[in-house]
Amino acid sequence: MNNNSNKMFFLFILFFSTLISISSNSWFGCWIGLEINLLSFIPLISNSKNLLSVETSLKYFLTQSLASINFLFMILIKFSLLKNFNMNNIISIMMNSSLLMKMGSAPFHFWFPNIVEGLSWMNNFMLMTWQKISPMILLSYYFNKNFLIFMIIMNLIIGSLGGLNQTSLRKLLAFSSINNLGWMIFSIMISENLWLFYFLIYSMMIFMMISLFFLMNMYFMNQLFINNMNFFIKLNLLINFLSLGGLPPFMGFMPKWIIINFLLINKFYFLTFIFMMTSLIIIYYYIRIIYSSFMFNYFKMKWVNLLMKNNMSLINLSSFISISSMILSTFIFM
Amino acid sequence: MLIYDIWFLFIYMFFVGNLIFVSKNKHLLVVLLSLEFIVLSIFFFFLVLLMFIDYDMYMLMVFLVFSVCEGSLGLSILVSMIRSHGNDYFQSFSML
Repeated sequence: MNNNSNKMFFLFILFFSTLISISSNSWFGCWIGLEINLLSFIPLISNSKNLLSVETSLKYFLTQSLASINFLFMILIKFSLLKNFNMNNIISIMMNSSLLMKMGSAPFHFWFPNIVEGLSWMNNFMLMTWQKISPMILLSYYFNKNFLIFMIIMNLIIGSLGGLNQTSLRKLLAFSSINNLGWMIFSIMISENLWLFYFLIYSMMIFMMISLFFLMNMYFMNQLFINNMNFFIKLNLLINFLSLGGLPPFMGFMPKWIIINFLLINKFYFLTFIFMMTSLIIIYYYIRIIYSSFMFNYFKMKWVNLLMKNNMSLINLSSFISISSMILSTFIFM
Repeated sequence: MLIYDIWFLFIYMFFVGNLIFVSKNKHLLVVLLSLEFIVLSIFFFFLVLLMFIDYDMYMLMVFLVFSVCEGSLGLSILVSMIRSHGNDYFQSFSML
């Protein structure tokens, strides 16, 4: 049942649920926004009647509803223990845990690659970018610094090591998303402006990659090697992958650079080490894909005919931005 | 004071509901029932909490509306699962 007016309705409600959640005066309004988010996202992903889509929506529903019910219970406990400041540590840990479970962050990440494997590319884009906004902003309202630094370390390590043995492109991007969540949670603790900057650049990069994979209808890594892509489209793919990994001349490096700058100025040396090493592992498996696809395994099969039906100008423009935006930004600020 | 022992009831109910949610069950309906049990415990907690603040129960009604929406969403996913798989056993999940 591929009904575009249904999707428009639920997308509209999804958009407004995030706005309700982040602009509410009380924690109860935040909970209401999270509930409406769940209510409107499930019809978007359970659109077809095959087994995979039902299982995906079921797993998503179970984890998200548990997390939001726990969140509400912690809100009520916080409300009932108004003057008892000894409990603040436990309550903030529980509230942060439930928000981290909503996001798919590290100790509670096991549902995330499974669900990403079962969704189409556009639904994945919504799950990886828009669904992360409201838990992260709610996290910034009441976070526990020590707990979150431990979670960040787990995020980085699991995101980098989990992607090493993947052949499915969706799961690869899911683990990369978990890794980038570590960076984003740390940038929340620095300042909310920096989080917004990182999030916008991250969602732009993910949008470029997902739209490229969506146009090619590619879901697995071996599909990168055996199709008849134009040279410039493959170059585009190379640039987007390297930008997502955070290599310097591309746009993806800039938010990571600012975060590392903050880390080193404030003497977080051990955390810097972990950020760097996990980034290296991620770039390793991106380069493994790209070098195989671009240099060693560059086959142009004659019987595979890829028709580019849609206009590629948006993707070309976005990869131009990806290459040149770091250099152009220095022109603005100097 | 004896009146403050009621907090333990809420925490116990909530904890038991969570325990059944995460346990290995044969049917999906048990999981959805445990979710409703957690909602019931929060409803009770909310009721007692709001009784201490001058009897304004509007928040409780809003909470009830959203929880019922969530419960019905769970049931609709259960129906969709039965339509495609044929049952609601957890053993039939092998795709992901």
